[in-house]
Amino acid sequence: MNSLLLCIPFAGLLLCIAVMPLVKPEWWEKHQALAVIVWSLLFIIPSIVLNGAGETTETVLECIVNDYLTFIVLLFGLFCVSGNITLEGNLAGSPAVNALFLAFGTLLSSCIGTTGASMLLVRPMIKMNSWRKNKAQIMIFFIFMISNMGGCLTPIGDPPLLMGFMRGVPFFWSLHLFPILIFNMILLLIIFYLIDKKQYRKDIANGLRPDISKPGVDIKVEGLHNIVFLVAIVVAVILSGTLPSLPMFQDAAGNVLGITIYKSVKLTFPAMIEIAIILLAALLSFKTTNEKIRTQNHFTWGAIQEVAILFIGIFITMQPALALLKTMGPNLGITEPYQMFWATGFLSSFLDNTPTYLVFLTTAGTLGFTSGIVTTVGTISVKILTAISCGAVFMGANTYIGNAPNFMVKSISDENGIRMPSFFGYMGWSLCILVPVFFIDMLVFFL
Amino acid sequence: MEKNRENCYEIAKQIYQLDKEVYECVGSSLGRTFTGDEATCVEEITRLLITRPQGHEIRSDIALIGNMARTIKNKEDHHRMMTQYNEILKKIAAIPDSFGSVDIINENLAALNTSNLRQKFSPDDHLIICIGRTHGSAGTDIGFALADKLKINYYDAEIFDQVLKKMDAEKEDIEDHSNYVEELKGKIAKKTGVGKFFKNFKKYHGLPVQDAIFFNQSDLICEMAKKEDFIVMGRCADVVLTNHRIPHISIFITASFEQRVRRMMELHNLNYKQAAHLLVKLDAKHAKYYFDYTGKKWGDAVNYDLCINSASYGIEESVELIERMINKYPNS
Repeated sequence: MNSLLLCIPFAGLLLCIAVMPLVKPEWWEKHQALAVIVWSLLFIIPSIVLNGAGETTETVLECIVNDYLTFIVLLFGLFCVSGNITLEGNLAGSPAVNALFLAFGTLLSSCIGTTGASMLLVRPMIKMNSWRKNKAQIMIFFIFMISNMGGCLTPIGDPPLLMGFMRGVPFFWSLHLFPILIFNMILLLIIFYLIDKKQYRKDIANGLRPDISKPGVDIKVEGLHNIVFLVAIVVAVILSGTLPSLPMFQDAAGNVLGITIYKSVKLTFPAMIEIAIILLAALLSFKTTNEKIRTQNHFTWGAIQEVAILFIGIFITMQPALALLKTMGPNLGITEPYQMFWATGFLSSFLDNTPTYLVFLTTAGTLGFTSGIVTTVGTISVKILTAISCGAVFMGANTYIGNAPNFMVKSISDENGIRMPSFFGYMGWSLCILVPVFFIDMLVFFL
Repeated sequence: MEKNRENCYEIAKQIYQLDKEVYECVGSSLGRTFTGDEATCVEEITRLLITRPQGHEIRSDIALIGNMARTIKNKEDHHRMMTQYNEILKKIAAIPDSFGSVDIINENLAALNTSNLRQKFSPDDHLIICIGRTHGSAGTDIGFALADKLKINYYDAEIFDQVLKKMDAEKEDIEDHSNYVEELKGKIAKKTGVGKFFKNFKKYHGLPVQDAIFFNQSDLICEMAKKEDFIVMGRCADVVLTNHRIPHISIFITASFEQRVRRMMELHNLNYKQAAHLLVKLDAKHAKYYFDYTGKKWGDAVNYDLCINSASYGIEESVELIERMINKYPNS
């Protein structure tokens, strides 16, 4: 009961994120930090009363140091580096071009991660469609596909799969999800094409048109050297997943070495290496790139600032819900692939998908399968592991807070003249489009 | 009501100007809130302000400008833009909410009187007549005869010649789907293949070929409208000109299906079944083309200044009828 009560601040913060931009947009813009502090305190103070100051401090520091810090540094690094790459050109955003771009981005996500691909491609996508008025659907499908689904093919793609890899799932096992990804891509791209075509026609009917006065497409990428820094960041992410298992980063008991912050809270050396590489890449990217490129990209700190503020609140207030999930997850009686798919997916829509994935991976490991993928948490049947992976990666797209890049894409779009839907408005899109697609996924792959 | 419109128009101009200045101050190349030309955007904002000043649509658009304004790095510019932004918000708040009242939304349409079509034009404007027609209604003949009588230019296939030159394209590469008869007769060879796809993709900026042609045609029609009087057949010219706030007269010419079939049978030496089949197909293609580029229903009387059943008048009388309506109260 107490654990449930402690989940209220999380729900309250989510409600604020959903409702305040609609009710009091200007106030919300100025006072987001205040709201985050208030809701965090509403969790911290009762938690101190119920669990004691020591345990609460440990919980809060644990999530800040081990989860939030690496999360925001990665986002920051990718945001900085991608902001220094600009695509100059006169390719016009038509439904076919947009669909091709989405397909390319979706596949790229598995190579450089959903966050990397999102940050790299969001501005070119906005630019191609700058002549259009009705374009929110483009960014919504961008979130669906590039910021989420595309990350399912490799452990680099999305953090949950990296966690799976760290627990013994083979690196290339995720490629088994390729048919599911292709199936989803086809469905979503058809839906996207039809919707975008309708909106495109509406724009043309209203007299809007791209500038095609110059014959031929002339595409020029500036700041291309930043790809090196992008690769460095991807390497840093891979290292953060692989280094902890190396003996040189472990003590005699097998614990990962690091600097102790408070009790069991430790900033590990692999995490420090990851942070150092990412920050260095961001710094070098800034130092070596002409400011003109950032101006052309309308590079501002607004989007990352908003995400940094809101997500620290989300990470802190989410802890009771995650603790509850860890306790109750194995006892939920979830044993079938389709149950795993929906349970992992539903919770990943609102909670961090990495711990959600781990909870259900651990649960699956205890089900006593004798054949399948051998992991450190037990043997897991291929179908179950597929369901958990797809649920965690795909359904992060259900809400703006389901996956880190979702909110970034929204914020960047908001700053560049695209009228993005509200929190609930976006959920309406995912309910109408994604949920039916996931239902078909269940029928085809998980029953 | 007129005063409210003027007020809304002024605010709309300020909103458009603010959007423009904010975008310039930011120095971005990713696009701004109002993407069309100034006249069209200002008219659209005015319409929103008159109908729903406190509505979601206008509020969201202004909020988007505010979002961008807040990111201006230069403090002086930031302050200046935000001051203007706040002033505009205050002005909008003061607009009476007339949504749901009986105000006339489209005053231009309401002011339209078929007996003074010519009065749509100022002395500086050229006389432009856009004629839409169904096949078999003799619309083309009426258009041509009218141009001859008014001694103004007539554009049909000529437009395409100019577009072809403008786009520097080989004639056989371009297929105009609005020229349905030619298309159906298979006179234009169609090439397919990956090579052609990429060639067209590069040539037309990733746009469908048909759309790129439409955009270039539209540009051409608007350019011509600044220079001369003319009659243009089809090509959604009526909507193109409306979108660019260029005065024109739009006419739709049709006749009963039976009459049109009979004419097609005579002209093309077809039997009844063939002619009827061809007409149904052509009408469907025409309607689709018009809907695709205008969002409106082809042949719907509300979209035109004048609709004529050519079967009731014949070619000569139709021409005289149109001429009388245009010249009854000439400006000059």
